[in-house]
Amino acid sequence: MSTKHSLAIAYRALKINKSRSFLTILGILIGIASIMMMVSLGSGAEKLILGEISGFGGETIVVRPGNRPTGLTNASGTLVNHSLKERDVELLRRKANVPYAEEVVPFVVVPGSTSYEGETYRPFILGGDINFFIDFYDAPLLEGSAFTENDIKELKRVAIIGDKVKQELFGESDAVGKYIQVKDQKFKIVGVLAKRGQVAVFDIDDLVVIPHTTAQKYVLGIDYYFEFIVTASDASLVDKTIVDIEKTLRESHKIDDPDKDDFFVMSLQGATEMIQTVISTLTAFLSSVVAIALVVGGVGVMNIMLVSITERIHEIGLRKAVGATEREILQQFLLEAILLTSVGGLMGIAAGGVFSFLISVFLAKFAIANWSFVFPFSAILWGMGVTTFVGLVFGLYPARKAARQDPIEALRYE
Amino acid sequence: MNKLIEAKNLRRIYGDDGVQTVALDNISIEIDRGEFVAVMGPSGSGKSTLLHILALLDKQTSGSYKFDGRAVDSYSEDEVAKVRNEKLGFVFQAFNLLPRTTVLNNVELPLLYSGISEHKWEEIALKAIRTVGLEHRLRHESNQLSGGEKQRVAIARALVNNPEIIFADEPTGNLDSKASHDLMKIIRGLNHEGHTIVLITHEEDIADYAKRVVRLRDGRLEEDRRTK
Repeated sequence: MSTKHSLAIAYRALKINKSRSFLTILGILIGIASIMMMVSLGSGAEKLILGEISGFGGETIVVRPGNRPTGLTNASGTLVNHSLKERDVELLRRKANVPYAEEVVPFVVVPGSTSYEGETYRPFILGGDINFFIDFYDAPLLEGSAFTENDIKELKRVAIIGDKVKQELFGESDAVGKYIQVKDQKFKIVGVLAKRGQVAVFDIDDLVVIPHTTAQKYVLGIDYYFEFIVTASDASLVDKTIVDIEKTLRESHKIDDPDKDDFFVMSLQGATEMIQTVISTLTAFLSSVVAIALVVGGVGVMNIMLVSITERIHEIGLRKAVGATEREILQQFLLEAILLTSVGGLMGIAAGGVFSFLISVFLAKFAIANWSFVFPFSAILWGMGVTTFVGLVFGLYPARKAARQDPIEALRYE
Repeated sequence: MNKLIEAKNLRRIYGDDGVQTVALDNISIEIDRGEFVAVMGPSGSGKSTLLHILALLDKQTSGSYKFDGRAVDSYSEDEVAKVRNEKLGFVFQAFNLLPRTTVLNNVELPLLYSGISEHKWEEIALKAIRTVGLEHRLRHESNQLSGGEKQRVAIARALVNNPEIIFADEPTGNLDSKASHDLMKIIRGLNHEGHTIVLITHEEDIADYAKRVVRLRDGRLEEDRRTK
């Protein structure tokens, strides 16, 4: 018997039991759609983060507290470690220690919102040197002026705000010279940044920048930093600079064994690799959790095939009596199972694609402005392969059972 | 070579280690091409078992069986399937048509497993359907037919591969008297055209259509006589 006829028979059999077939397909559909969404969103996140990293120059080096994250288990280590102090900044800025460091810029992040005369808005509040943004991210001031080294040293309560923050709090009226509230402190606005949009990890328009010294002492009450950004004088000197930074910080922190580092230093490339590791680990983990749904779907397919074979046992006996070989019966029922799963797979891929797209649109609109929809072609092929495989695996037992039916017993079955 | 079926000392024992049932006990039978044999006997006499063995749907426990000059033991599974497809036709008491499938597609079923190319199927099937007089029902689905019509479709299906022999297991068992005789006239007509027929029945008036009657009792051959 030709495959064409096997397919036609399989199609007819599935059509006769429409709702049953659909429910069986649904199990596979949900499994595959979920995996597709995991893969799509994982790829989207990877693209987003890598895209943002590449906004930094190749000469950028990032220093963070805690252990180097190698996977999911210790990724949280960076959040609770307080190892980076002002002393480290001073040591890193010494040419004797790190000769090729051009800038060493410490940062702290201030959680919470800001308000002005009853208007409250939740921007991204950063304690750091505004000049770094102006120079390094090419984000010029629209009005007012940047705060100075002196402002930083003297812990002045001054702030520079992004365009969106200005619109939210002040609308069309002037902002420079007004005071906004951050936590329980009032900050004088000295400058407004020009509209710039997303640059690297920062949405410049959504930023409030205050001196890091002020943020540490008056707002957060801490003496450590969340991150240092170090720029090497040339991209080719990045590796050398990393070694110097590590040496300096180990001396400062009195660490002999590099395995016990309470900080880690990443170049752009290092950060890229690390993020890829974390995201692909996460995607693989979530996908494998979701893959359990596929096994459940597969068991559903096996179950329905066994029911179908019992129902059609006379048909099997008849087909054997008129000359069907075991192989032909096996082929017919296997094909039926594969048809079920691959139709489920196709629908699942489509559904996964549509949902991923909708989520992407939603994310881009309401949460992450430059999130983009990614649906890897390899995932489609992979999804088709997996569903065919599921059909093959879970269809084989019922199909063999059908093929081995004794024709007389099958015809006599009541 | 005129002998189609040569069976010697056929025994068929059912059951596992514990209880064994002897269904056929030393049956020998020869059937020539063109014969019309009615196998009779009360239920449990072994007539269905005999038919199943002769039709290659079952295997004897001991004894020898040559079909068309070749010992059946020497056939592989696939060869048995091929013989069933090309040389044997079956008609069952319960019709066994594919549900929700047209008359034409039901009759075409054996062709699916043959080497005959698809564009000839309809023509071949039509010829068989005309033989049983159902050409006006071609596109009807099997569940829209009367019992007599269903069994005629089954006969057309048995005929479609132009088999050497047609086995019919109580084909009139589910039919009323008129439909039974209409059906038997068709079967007799097939025999006149040269088809070999082996038919199981327990009704004397049905057996009257045959040229030879074989009677079984308790798995043994009780009588084997030519009536015409």
